[in-house]
Amino acid sequence: MNPKYMFDPKGFKNVEKNGKVIGFQFDFKMQYYRGVTLSIIRNIEVNVDGEEFNREDIRFTLEGDTFTLDEMETVITYRWKYGQYATVTVLKDGGLAKGKHHIKAVQTIAPSYMPMILVKPGEYDFEIV
Amino acid sequence: MSYDIKRSVSLYSFQEEYYLGKMSLEDCIREVSKTGATGIELLAEQMMDDFPVLTPKFKEQWFGWMEKYGTEPTCYDAFLENRIYKNRTCTLKEQIAMMERDIRLAHEMGFKTLRTLVSTPMNVIEGSIPIAEANDIKVCLEVHSPFSLNSGWADGYMEMILRTGTKNFGFMPDFGIFCKKIPDLLTEQARRKGVSEECIKAVEDAFHNRVTKGFTKIKYDTNLGRAHQEYMRVNGLPDLLEKIQRLGGEGNALDYARSSFQYTWCETRDIIDNIKYIYHTHAKFYHVDENYEETSIPIREVVEAYKKAGYHGYLSSEYEGNGMLNDAYEVDSVEQVRRHQEALRRAIEG
Repeated sequence: MNPKYMFDPKGFKNVEKNGKVIGFQFDFKMQYYRGVTLSIIRNIEVNVDGEEFNREDIRFTLEGDTFTLDEMETVITYRWKYGQYATVTVLKDGGLAKGKHHIKAVQTIAPSYMPMILVKPGEYDFEIV
Repeated sequence: MSYDIKRSVSLYSFQEEYYLGKMSLEDCIREVSKTGATGIELLAEQMMDDFPVLTPKFKEQWFGWMEKYGTEPTCYDAFLENRIYKNRTCTLKEQIAMMERDIRLAHEMGFKTLRTLVSTPMNVIEGSIPIAEANDIKVCLEVHSPFSLNSGWADGYMEMILRTGTKNFGFMPDFGIFCKKIPDLLTEQARRKGVSEECIKAVEDAFHNRVTKGFTKIKYDTNLGRAHQEYMRVNGLPDLLEKIQRLGGEGNALDYARSSFQYTWCETRDIIDNIKYIYHTHAKFYHVDENYEETSIPIREVVEAYKKAGYHGYLSSEYEGNGMLNDAYEVDSVEQVRRHQEALRRAIEG
């Protein structure tokens, strides 16, 4: 699917926990034409304004349950449905500054039947208010 | 030979609108029925929310829609996720269990055929045949470009069919093997990406040359990546890439050249020769113009072969032009499916 459809324009925000901003989050769809178990999602990379975040600092939330990227490798009971938004949270003390930002996120998807692994980037301009 | 060719639509055709939340599953079925098609083909993993669980509620809705819209289930498109774990391939037992899950689901939902992908190992197919028999399902290996019938690749499966005498495994061709031209939308998209006219001409000439001269068919090889690479090599990809580079073409031009190898032209006698083992068909298409002509696939010529062969089964429209358009235009899958169904109707009845 075209990367311009990937991000939910309404999903970008900082995340607070116990009165402290611990990171930021956004919602996106998978750039693929069917739903897959989370084990098929082999990586998610996030870069905001040129800053690349660590794999360990990324969390993936689907239907209320949250996984690290390492944990996702064994998850075969949860399916990321076709056209469904999932939430990505990036742990970053203080979150993102208010104002305009540019995100580049890359989904690595490994459908079993394909000889190659899909690497699907998407970019978007957003604002933290 | 008497024939009975019916029309179906794969709901895959509406993937753009479904992805964007503009159409629901019921909307897709309704649009199919409006075209006069009577068959519904489904990728359960694409549009069935509770996959792989068939809830009583969904089952009731599903059969309710079939009755309301005067349609019947035709083909269930399965994906054997045999590398569901990162660190290993599923065992034969696990893979057959996965096939069993899909075959049972297809049967419960009223489908008669199940599409399996070219990547399904032979022993998994063979091990699934008793399950298919028990569930009245014909498992069909998709003959998707660049794979083809009457080829070393197909011979491997034909040997198994003849050896076992099974009536529950066969083929389902995809019309992508009947492209006489590169889809015009793909070429238009290459232009939008800045590919020069010289490079476009070189790619189109090379394609025309393959069509005229005949494609060298793909071999049977359990390593599909290798089979594919070899297929592209013997059909002249390295020479073409070299030529593109000489013409100053870079990334997008080279990608366009490579993607032209996804389309093949097979003689329509491939259908006639293998008709006994063809139980369903993906009538793949990319662009049907206002005159009801598919711009790369000669629908009438292909359908004539099905008639001559005495085909009893469905031709199922499968629209795949959205990705060649949606970088610049709004996609109208409903209109494309309507046109394609009309083109099929004319070819079948004409």
